[in-house]
Amino acid sequence: MNNTSKSQRTMDIVQGGLAKRYQKEKRFKLYGLSAIFFSLLCLSLLFISIFSNGYTAFQQTFIEMEIAIDPEFIDKGNFAGSDYQGIIKASLRKEFPDVTGRKAKKRLYHLVSSGASYQLQDFVRDNFDKIGQTIRLWVPADDDVDMFIKGHIGRKGPEEDRRLKDDQISWIDSLVEQGRIKKKFNTTFFTAGDSREPELAGIWGAATGSFFTLLVTLALSFPIGVAAAVYLEEFAPTNRWTDLIEVNINNLAAVPSIVFGLLGLAVFLNFAGLPRSAPLVGGFVLTLMTLPTIIIASRASLKSVPPSIREAALGVGASKTQMVTHHVLPLAMPGMLTGTIIGMAQALGETAPLLMIGMVAFIVDIPGGFTDPSTVLPVQIYLWADSPERAFLERTSAAIMVLLVFLISMNAVAVILRKKFERRW
Amino acid sequence: MTPSYLLIILLLISTVAYYLGKKRAFAVVKHQGGPKVLHSRPGYYGMLTALWCGVPAVLIYSIWLVFEPTFISDMILSNLPADIKALPDDRLTLVMNDIKNLVNGNILSGEISPVIRSASEHYKHLQFISHACLTVIVLILSIAGLLVVWKIIKPELRARNHVEQLLKLVLIACSTIAIFTTIGIVMSVLYEAIRFFKVIPITEFLFGLEWSPQMAIRSDQVGSSGAFGAIPVFMGTMLISAIAMSVAVPVGLMSAIYLSEYANKKFRAVAKPLLEILAGIPTVVYGFFAALVVAPAIRNTGASFGLDVSSESALAAGLVMGVMIIPFVSSLSDDVINAVPQSLRDGAYGLGSTKSETIKQVIFPAALPGIVGGVLLAVSRAIGETMIVVMAAGLSANLTLNPLKTVTTVTVQIVTLLVGDQEFDSPKTLAAFALGLMLFVTTLILNIIALVVVRKYREQYE
Amino acid sequence: MKKALLTVLALVFVMTTGNLWADSSRDYISIVGSSTVYPFATVVAEKFGKSTQYKTPKIESTGSGGGHKLFGAGVGVQHPDITNSSRRIKKSEFEKASQNGIEIVEVKIGYDGIVVANSKKGAALKLTRKDLYLALAAQVPNPDGSETLVANPYKTWKDVNASLPNTKIEVLGPPPTSGTRDAFVELAMEGGAKKFGFIKAMKKADKKKYKSVCHTVREDGAYIEAGENDNLIVQKLEANSKALGIFGFSFLDQNTDKIQGSFIDGVQPTFDAIADGSYPVSRPLFFYVKKAHVDKIPGMKGFLKEFTSEKAWGDEGYLTDKGLIPMPAAERKEFQAAVANLKPMTASDF
Repeated sequence: MNNTSKSQRTMDIVQGGLAKRYQKEKRFKLYGLSAIFFSLLCLSLLFISIFSNGYTAFQQTFIEMEIAIDPEFIDKGNFAGSDYQGIIKASLRKEFPDVTGRKAKKRLYHLVSSGASYQLQDFVRDNFDKIGQTIRLWVPADDDVDMFIKGHIGRKGPEEDRRLKDDQISWIDSLVEQGRIKKKFNTTFFTAGDSREPELAGIWGAATGSFFTLLVTLALSFPIGVAAAVYLEEFAPTNRWTDLIEVNINNLAAVPSIVFGLLGLAVFLNFAGLPRSAPLVGGFVLTLMTLPTIIIASRASLKSVPPSIREAALGVGASKTQMVTHHVLPLAMPGMLTGTIIGMAQALGETAPLLMIGMVAFIVDIPGGFTDPSTVLPVQIYLWADSPERAFLERTSAAIMVLLVFLISMNAVAVILRKKFERRW
Repeated sequence: MTPSYLLIILLLISTVAYYLGKKRAFAVVKHQGGPKVLHSRPGYYGMLTALWCGVPAVLIYSIWLVFEPTFISDMILSNLPADIKALPDDRLTLVMNDIKNLVNGNILSGEISPVIRSASEHYKHLQFISHACLTVIVLILSIAGLLVVWKIIKPELRARNHVEQLLKLVLIACSTIAIFTTIGIVMSVLYEAIRFFKVIPITEFLFGLEWSPQMAIRSDQVGSSGAFGAIPVFMGTMLISAIAMSVAVPVGLMSAIYLSEYANKKFRAVAKPLLEILAGIPTVVYGFFAALVVAPAIRNTGASFGLDVSSESALAAGLVMGVMIIPFVSSLSDDVINAVPQSLRDGAYGLGSTKSETIKQVIFPAALPGIVGGVLLAVSRAIGETMIVVMAAGLSANLTLNPLKTVTTVTVQIVTLLVGDQEFDSPKTLAAFALGLMLFVTTLILNIIALVVVRKYREQYE
Repeated sequence: MKKALLTVLALVFVMTTGNLWADSSRDYISIVGSSTVYPFATVVAEKFGKSTQYKTPKIESTGSGGGHKLFGAGVGVQHPDITNSSRRIKKSEFEKASQNGIEIVEVKIGYDGIVVANSKKGAALKLTRKDLYLALAAQVPNPDGSETLVANPYKTWKDVNASLPNTKIEVLGPPPTSGTRDAFVELAMEGGAKKFGFIKAMKKADKKKYKSVCHTVREDGAYIEAGENDNLIVQKLEANSKALGIFGFSFLDQNTDKIQGSFIDGVQPTFDAIADGSYPVSRPLFFYVKKAHVDKIPGMKGFLKEFTSEKAWGDEGYLTDKGLIPMPAAERKEFQAAVANLKPMTASDF
């Protein structure tokens, strides 16, 4: 009798508190779910803001101009140095003949990009026979006109606060009516190097620089990293020294990247005298940075190969080296590859150490080799983010989109490889 | 022939040597009982031949090419007319640059004087001779190596052991590179930092409260007072890291718990890669996002509440840094939580606890050392983060705990002090190295603590 | 398949390392220096690179002071060829460079005003140079009237001058490596300090103390050093309508839709006011060339010619479009001749 009443009391107590506990359970689960949604929200906010700022950069406004190639402007002895800007200016004046006054004329000339003269120069170089004739050419518009057509700059507000004045807007309107202003796909963005004019700026120079730098990094860090991991994991005797080395390498992986930049500055530039801003030096610095990542990932994958495989190899008479190279290494290779790909992806996105070694200059030419001065894509983004022109804002976002596409695809390849070759021992 | 082609030829010769050696091994034992009489597998004899053919040749090749430019330049210099030789050293480098430009086929400036032209012709001639000699020597070496080893191939030759020794040497060399990197970092940063501490006493650096390093750079200029007290800078780093961790730890931990305990396989398969994308975004993008979107948003919200928010508040930088660190905390905690054996969970369920109670009272304490280690690693990541703070945080060293004000961090100061400046004498530049040393030491200590905590308190589950 | 992959990898490795031994020589112009002159130099460099077969010069923005330090370190391939400067080279810098064996050719490229600007969201301020000195100096005359100096006690603009608004003094300006800073302290702050008789008298009595009184900027947070990047200052002003920024007129000119310049001594900073000298805070812009490098680095002669051509720095040139205020025609001719003859500077020029 007594027992049942006691146990009933316990059951009552338990039952009484059950609802509360279930509530707590629900809340806890909710916290977890909301944490994940918060992270995903931030991620999507990031992507949406960058995408919305950047997708307009893939189109560039062009103006169709009627250009009379006046032979007086062409210096027969020096085609490259002739006054093509003068030809463009004359054509603009002919288009809008009632524009007078120095300031108004300047605003007229500003409708068209300064790159138009280079385009004309190339055209004349390829078509000598057209000198003296009138041609129609689609030339890039100035970045203010580009922003206006894309809707980033408005026509409202007091005139002195606006980038485009009333007369410029009226000219643009008349050109739009004639169908001579069009937005076309912005190939310049993908083929040109850096420039002061946003409508002429592109990421090709930075992309080539990134390519060379990553090539040097991959060529150096993968063999050295794998070899070091194999030695440390398989051959090195276990004593205090190797313990120290393990601690060291783990630390290197956590050292801020800027300290590697300092190292690169002190050793490669000052001591060894290598050229500044070269992909070679950038590659060396990034190798030192990715080496710990690759070593740690390789060691983890070597460790994951079960001892039974090793002992089976030794049992049939293989030497230690044969066991490692024939049996362990191929099985551990997928893990090493994924570690390398992740390390390369990290190196591609690095900016801080490269700032220290001088890759932060204005470099227009596309680099042709490993010792030509160049910049890399993240540094280019950093430089453009500081520019005042409105048009650079959308180009920075577009460059970020390109970089993100590369990185996400690299990470995706690593994940797919990992899934494909993952073996459950 | 150009060096790169020579290298390819060497590679080809080595491959041929491999096949020759292997064939020889087979041939030698043909009448002695077949390949099973050989000490090692036939491939190793081939490999030994190839290695002795290729490795010395490549070594000589590298050393030769490293020193060739210096030798040739010296010879050209000694042959220049006396008036040019009398120029000071730095002018000579300009003359040499001219000559090299001509040799490389780059465009030259202005008129090419006959002296320069003849010097560059001479240079090209010398280069040709040098490359020819190199080719001959390297080819002789490789063929000699091939022949010597070919001759000594016998069944008793322990080819495999030799090859393995060589391989081990290569592996050791590669490991030492990794070790030398650590030593190199410590040495270079330490060396410059010691030079800094000779000028500015270490107590002033560690305990001073004023940071204005932009000293005068000329003797007749009046600059800042040159105070190098680093406490405001450290405080700035601490403040922003604290904000970042207060965002990252709860969110990361809860995400990890949900993903490992509550989520079904499909959800996990989708959510985990998405979270890892957060980790893969370059920090310059985060910095851009922080400077462009987050900081103005915080400023406007603060203004609507009547608060005085700086346009580069520590809050903006800290929030974005926290979002960046979430995947670190999340994936590290995930691994640790998964490592807790199922038996502990089953025991708790068996006693009637709900899932959240199990997590809070059983799993979390069991996984705590690993989580703490992970959090410490995330803290060291936050401390060392550069690009987000360069773009979103400020440059003035304020000694404040108010997240709405602007502060500067150690990494921002390193970048500001060093970008573009190369003079390694002024305290200003050396201060950057001292800061770098502090950063390195701090992250080292954090990592060691993490390692010790994990090792000491980790429960060994079979 | 594996062997093929290995051989391909080996080939790639070889090709990349094979090229590393190439004996490289510098065939592009290396330019450092002022962030104010940077926008102009980059435009000329780009035009030069696109219209000739020479490589485009590489330009770094290090600040005038930083640029002179790098430039003056010596002659040779590893040192820059040209340095941009938003103020004249100082005697100490010239002497250091001469000690290192450098012959310098000075080229003035035009004029630039220094503006104290704020966001258009606020009202434009009417300041005098005296106000600027009192607001920004580390040491100011004692407000009680005795002719002594005290640490700067003023917190708001109203404290400095009752006609100014009651907002906190928050000014974003360049660090000591910047030529803009040097020019600002000399023209604006010294110009304001001189209005106090006893400070002016100090000039003859103790020149060093005079300089430190006029040129030292306060470090208690009212003046915030915002780095070499003038564009960043413009962005920060947009975000913070109560702050003021100090930078060159060209940046104001390029951003008239976002920021406005304050009146200084009653004159608004406009193109014409600076050109005719009525705006008191204007200074010339220069670049300095190493004579020894001109014949040796490919393209230098052509670059100098492009920079000093009428279509670049003339009244209708493309540099004026970027906000440069051109020199009078006679001065332009003088410097064109200096570049053509490569006349080096001497100690008597100071």
